[in-house]
Amino acid sequence: MARYLLGRILGLLTVFLLVSVVAFLLMHSIPGGPFDEGQMPLPPAAKENIRRKYGLDKPIYVQYINYMSNAIRGDFGYSFQHPDETVIQVIQRTWPTSIALGGITVITGLGFGVFLGIVAAVRQNSWVDYIVTLFATLGLTVPNFVISFWLIMLFVIWLKILPIGGWPENWSTILSGDWKYLIMPVIALSLTPMGIAARYTRASLVDVLSSDYIRTARSKGLSEQITIWRHALKNALIPILTVLGPQVPHLITGTIFIETVFRVNGLGKYFVTSVVQRDYPLLMALMLLIAFLWGLVYLITDLLYVLIDPRIKLA
Amino acid sequence: MAEPTLNRRRFLALFASTGASALLAACGGSAPETPAAQAPTTDAPAAPAATSTPVPTLAPVVAPTAVPEPTKEVATTAEGGVVYPDDAAPIEYQTFVTYIDNTANFTSPDFLETVYNQGGFGSIVNVLGEPLIRLNKNFEVQPAAATSWEANEDATVWTFHLNPELVWSDGTPLTAHDYVHTFRYAADPEHAWDFAWYYSEPGAIVNWDAVVAGEKPLEELGVTAIDDYTLEFKTESPAPFLPAKLLYSQALQKAAFEKHGPLYNTDPATSVSAGPYILKEWTKGSRLVYEANPNYKGNNKPYIQKVICIYAKPETMFTGYQQGEVDFVHSQFLSSADLELINADPELAKQVRLNSGDFRTDYLFFDVTKAPFDDIRVRQAISHVVDRDTIITNILTNGQAIPAYSFLMPGFPASNSDGLKDIQAYDPEKAKALLAEAGYPDGQGFPKLTLWLRNEPQVYQQVAQAIAASIKQNLGIEVEVSNKDYKTFMDALNAKPTQIDFGMVSYGIDFLDPSNMLGVWLSGGRHSWSNEQFDALVREASASLDMEGRIKQFMDAERILVEDVPAIWISHRTRGDLLKPYFAGSELEANIGGFSAIQWPDFSNHSSVIGSMYVTKDVLNYRKEPPK
Repeated sequence: MARYLLGRILGLLTVFLLVSVVAFLLMHSIPGGPFDEGQMPLPPAAKENIRRKYGLDKPIYVQYINYMSNAIRGDFGYSFQHPDETVIQVIQRTWPTSIALGGITVITGLGFGVFLGIVAAVRQNSWVDYIVTLFATLGLTVPNFVISFWLIMLFVIWLKILPIGGWPENWSTILSGDWKYLIMPVIALSLTPMGIAARYTRASLVDVLSSDYIRTARSKGLSEQITIWRHALKNALIPILTVLGPQVPHLITGTIFIETVFRVNGLGKYFVTSVVQRDYPLLMALMLLIAFLWGLVYLITDLLYVLIDPRIKLA
Repeated sequence: MAEPTLNRRRFLALFASTGASALLAACGGSAPETPAAQAPTTDAPAAPAATSTPVPTLAPVVAPTAVPEPTKEVATTAEGGVVYPDDAAPIEYQTFVTYIDNTANFTSPDFLETVYNQGGFGSIVNVLGEPLIRLNKNFEVQPAAATSWEANEDATVWTFHLNPELVWSDGTPLTAHDYVHTFRYAADPEHAWDFAWYYSEPGAIVNWDAVVAGEKPLEELGVTAIDDYTLEFKTESPAPFLPAKLLYSQALQKAAFEKHGPLYNTDPATSVSAGPYILKEWTKGSRLVYEANPNYKGNNKPYIQKVICIYAKPETMFTGYQQGEVDFVHSQFLSSADLELINADPELAKQVRLNSGDFRTDYLFFDVTKAPFDDIRVRQAISHVVDRDTIITNILTNGQAIPAYSFLMPGFPASNSDGLKDIQAYDPEKAKALLAEAGYPDGQGFPKLTLWLRNEPQVYQQVAQAIAASIKQNLGIEVEVSNKDYKTFMDALNAKPTQIDFGMVSYGIDFLDPSNMLGVWLSGGRHSWSNEQFDALVREASASLDMEGRIKQFMDAERILVEDVPAIWISHRTRGDLLKPYFAGSELEANIGGFSAIQWPDFSNHSSVIGSMYVTKDVLNYRKEPPK
């Protein structure tokens, strides 16, 4: 087990290295830089000053080595967008909000989606099944920006019961009324994961329910509840886990659209603004963060497979 | 137990019922009528313009129901000593709420720290310092920190006398040394100011370019303190417009700078202000609040006691305005769907405040050094197929723009719109003839063009599409419109040689003198066009002290610019911002151009609007309680 983990971690580090090199090269291949010339062009000396200030006057490999050698020690430098904050501080300030929103969405989206999928599979081809499938398809196909604007229209403009956007300041204010801020972003964000979860769960469970050992369990006289919850579900879980696992890092790092529309001050927007503003330190840090989270999620799902299915052994 | 199976009959039944209900939903009923507005609110919901398809409107807009005369007392004086007019609202309602684009970069509210990272359009900045001069609603230079100034005979040495009463919010006096320090910081190569071209020619501050290049030390910059309250500027060439150019001269406090660094104004704990407001709260990405500075001793004393800025996504700003969340929306954030809605609603249409903005002109430009645009007949041909009137009527709407046949907008000094308007007039027949003469009859043999746009909002993309369609229709030339990322565009434009053959861009003024606008077209600037006669005229006129003569010279220069067609002028933007009707003040009333709005440079200490704008009692018809 320890050897397996060690091997995985080494693999993860290799991935980091590759991701960092590719991201760095791509980032510097886009024209423009972290400065602007919207009105008149800067005189060459002024432009040189800016490039020097941001360390862009050195050759690319020197910049890379400087960045990575600092990064290993945890120093990702100052964000170009927020020169008074280090990259770590920017992430510290905004990531908890995205984690909160993403965490709630994992429960409502993925959790509830799995539940719906189970219900649909169990009552296969009934009206319940059709409703769930329709709902799941809508969730998958309707883009979240359309849903966001429809939610605003419904709750803010027609019904006037929700504020247009914002996020609770801390956990204690939620009970006193800040829970209103949670409703729209969570709904908008959950629908697609819910759709994915429902469909894959349903398909996987339907597949399992038609297998021989389930028929045996039923013919033995086991109640439907036990058959499904104890026997079928565990076996259906592997494909579900494979699909839903990667949804988690995707959700907890925030999505720019939902966060900016509903004014949730999270990490999501930096994935886009860092590219647009050419905020190289923050962008690199975010790429490495994503790589880390994905690596971690795959490792965890692999370990969970072993727990769920005794036939699977770690390599 | 038998599972229900899906047989053909069931399937058809389900399909039919789904189809029928979809049909019903599409044709069917109007949305529920909203109840008539409760007493204070007027913003009866109209369909949001956030979606691009027109949505059926709901209840007709309900005029505010009459509210009994409020018994609250009107504030008569506030901290800082302003005396409110009789129709002013109680002091807790003297607030101004607006939006900041939450996708824009907001690093600092100080101009001399950064210009491009001040939160984008519409953000409230430059209120924490006192500039040397400011502008009134007619763009006339007014004393601000400088009570008076004089120049030597050839306008190369300017002496500004500072108001000795000015203090910082921590009680220390504002002196000429703060200004000297700030200007040196602006030129400092270590700072790498992103607007470092500004104090270059025309009328460059002595040694500015050398200091920026690191060739001379900061102390040799042509800005010196003769004594604590006398500031002297030396320029390389005569600069009769220097006071106007010093619009953006708010000093940073030397002491705070040395203790906390140049970004001391990003945190209320370290922020120090010599301006009408202090920084009360700044939750990055969420909210920014300014409050009136009780120690302000300048001449722009605020009536508005609190300015609240809420970060929001541009597409939701109009909706928020309708909901009464804010008092103001910058025209940049109104999509064409929003504009349609506003035009259809008489109440909202009245809240659109047209103004000349920053005299911004949109234009197409060519790389005149490369074929086929090196042939003036080709450029002229294209200039004659831009149907500005139709574009403005159908796309830009409601006076958001006026047609432009020349670069300088009416109202701007040396503007000559009438005199120049025939040169690039709409004339498709003439265009076809010119193109044939240039060797491309009906566009045959003409390469396919790509029209580069600089990350334009949707309305301007539509303008470009209309122009492309007109070029195709009239001249037979294929044009593809490509909306580029902002920095990619600027990088390609400023590359030497330029990488953009055919593009669309705009320019708005930095200071109010023709040398600024026409200076854009000097050789070696952002466009590849180069004309010696034009250069000579503009340089001479910029340095000339003959007030009338230089205007004539600028007009001649502009004529060369328009006749040689390195650019085709499309429109001048008359901004139509949304402002709630409960604001009043002499600076909000009609200016010489006939516009009544918050004039450029917007709600900042560069403008005298702060010392004039207040909230009237009418606000009680719109707000049940003061905004927080």
